[in-house]
Amino acid sequence: MTTATTPTGAEHAAMYYRMALARNIDIVMARHTREQRFDGWWHPGEGQEAAPIGATAALRKDDYLFYQGRGSAWAIGKGMAPGAILGDLLGKVSGSTGGKGAGVPHWSDPELGIMGEGATLGSVFHVAAGAALAARLRGSGQVAIANFGDGTAARGTFHETMVQAAAWKLPLIYFCENNGLIVSMRLSEVSPTENIADYAAGYGIPGVIVDGQDTDAVHRATAEAVARARAGDGPTLIEAKVVRRRGHWEGDPQQYRKDDDADIAGYRDPLEVLAARLDASQREELDARAAREVQEAYEAAQAAPVADADIIWKDIYA
Amino acid sequence: MSNMTETRTLTYSAAMGHAIAEEMRRDERVFMMGQMAAGGGQFAAERGLSDEFGTERVRNTTINEAFMAGCTAGAAIAGMKPIVNMGFGDFALIAGDEIYQKLAKWRYMHGGKFTLSAVVIMPFGSMGGAGPEHSSSLEVLGMHFPGLKVVIPSTPADAKGLLKTAIRDPNPVLFHSINTLSFMRGEVPVSDEFVIPFGQAAVRRSGTTTSMITYGSMVQPCLDVAAKLAAEGIDLEVIDLRTLVPLDWDTVLRSVRKTHRAMIVHEAVRTAGAGAEIAARIQEEAFFDLECPVFRVAGKDTIRPQTARLEAMCIPSVDEIEQAVRQQLAT
Repeated sequence: MTTATTPTGAEHAAMYYRMALARNIDIVMARHTREQRFDGWWHPGEGQEAAPIGATAALRKDDYLFYQGRGSAWAIGKGMAPGAILGDLLGKVSGSTGGKGAGVPHWSDPELGIMGEGATLGSVFHVAAGAALAARLRGSGQVAIANFGDGTAARGTFHETMVQAAAWKLPLIYFCENNGLIVSMRLSEVSPTENIADYAAGYGIPGVIVDGQDTDAVHRATAEAVARARAGDGPTLIEAKVVRRRGHWEGDPQQYRKDDDADIAGYRDPLEVLAARLDASQREELDARAAREVQEAYEAAQAAPVADADIIWKDIYA
Repeated sequence: MSNMTETRTLTYSAAMGHAIAEEMRRDERVFMMGQMAAGGGQFAAERGLSDEFGTERVRNTTINEAFMAGCTAGAAIAGMKPIVNMGFGDFALIAGDEIYQKLAKWRYMHGGKFTLSAVVIMPFGSMGGAGPEHSSSLEVLGMHFPGLKVVIPSTPADAKGLLKTAIRDPNPVLFHSINTLSFMRGEVPVSDEFVIPFGQAAVRRSGTTTSMITYGSMVQPCLDVAAKLAAEGIDLEVIDLRTLVPLDWDTVLRSVRKTHRAMIVHEAVRTAGAGAEIAARIQEEAFFDLECPVFRVAGKDTIRPQTARLEAMCIPSVDEIEQAVRQQLAT
């Protein structure tokens, strides 16, 4: 699915399955948090799955992903197995970081182009630009995605990076998931603009707003940005309008939200949006398979050992 | 390959430029970024590089230090070997998250999946009127963040040999070049295989009275004091640490066990400077070998004033070092 702008039936099924995996990881993590002590903060991605799954479907395996820390759909979309994801969340050796990660994730797999996360929010813009520069210097044709939330568009790194990346025409895509919430604040309380994409004009790059509940719309916008980046025409800023269904962290009572808030009242489940393009029996089969795969991965992660104490001394230096 | 004994006279900056050029010829993953890098750099280390390698591999950035360092981390994560010149070491503070968290911690926090081979050049220290925000000595910050290596050369030859090692090292290296030494001339091995391993201090002068443990800008003042006091039979040993991470504790402790006196000299402010760590470690491991307290001669615990005449009062002088040696001998 590298450059096609209209996904086929098989691609719809594949995207649906990945969204269902991410949704089920949220479900088991919510249960795990409720029933057992959890050594970290899980930031659930429910409601936002279409943006990462639609975007990653437009990428090559070797394209570079730098993600933000909500949900697991970016890693799933890039091909990471639920077992590696849940292993990290539970701090087990079966995780992609071998037992160091728990909660705020640092999933990584260079073979899948999953290059990691910076947990000082808004700190992967320039890091992704560096990977894009590496691709450019090697002439590899790879692109890099810097994924971020609406709150972090206020960071100086957002501006410093895009000034340079646009001037250098780096193969970089800024991908914003705008859920309108910054932890427990509304973006509208603190932002001069409603749309993050408005900033693109200042850098002379395209700023594209897409329906973040619709995988196909996200896929189309991302495929265009990828084509532009590979052609040497420089960065694009994509803003997917998404809805955060659950708290900032799992267990957050969200007293700052009301049921008649526009985002909650107007919510369309991205799985339902895509399911309308599948036949019912196919959907049922995908739902059941995803639930089973995640449950098995969760049980395997539960059974996996924690890391030995000497891991704290590992990988400080190469 | 030219042999290791052939040398030519180069400035400290030119020696850095030679190191970068040789490593760029040797390894196509190496590239360079900085403000004015393509125009020769602020202290001339990059002179001529863009002529040879072009402006794709020797890139000018705008005024965006956080970008420069973050981009360095990202390029390294993606397998390149970037060198970035921060212009002044102080500007690394603008890129604190990028240097002390991203470069230092990315490998560790992602389970060892990435190797970050990168060099951050942080021009160091007071240079006579550059002002309070362009004159800091920040080497101790690198010591406080595991994951980084810290280099601080005191001669043109070391500038070349240590920079080449830094570029080849698979880890992020903070390379503190000394601004006041930029145009210092010295004999530099010509060989493109001339490298100086990290963690090997240089005993610049062998002696028996006091171990002078120093680095960077304070090596020459210590040697000047040693030359002056030799006539009185005061025989100083001057150890140039060259790298603070890793630090050559063996050479330091061996020297202290021989002389029974330790004095640490650095330009950075005294409080919580590198000298504090070195003094603590000496008393932990060689307390009963000492005849007197460990002394420190360091930059004054004040801000470096813009006025050069006042600034000079803040940096250890040859006279202050000499007085400290005499005072320690009298205790």
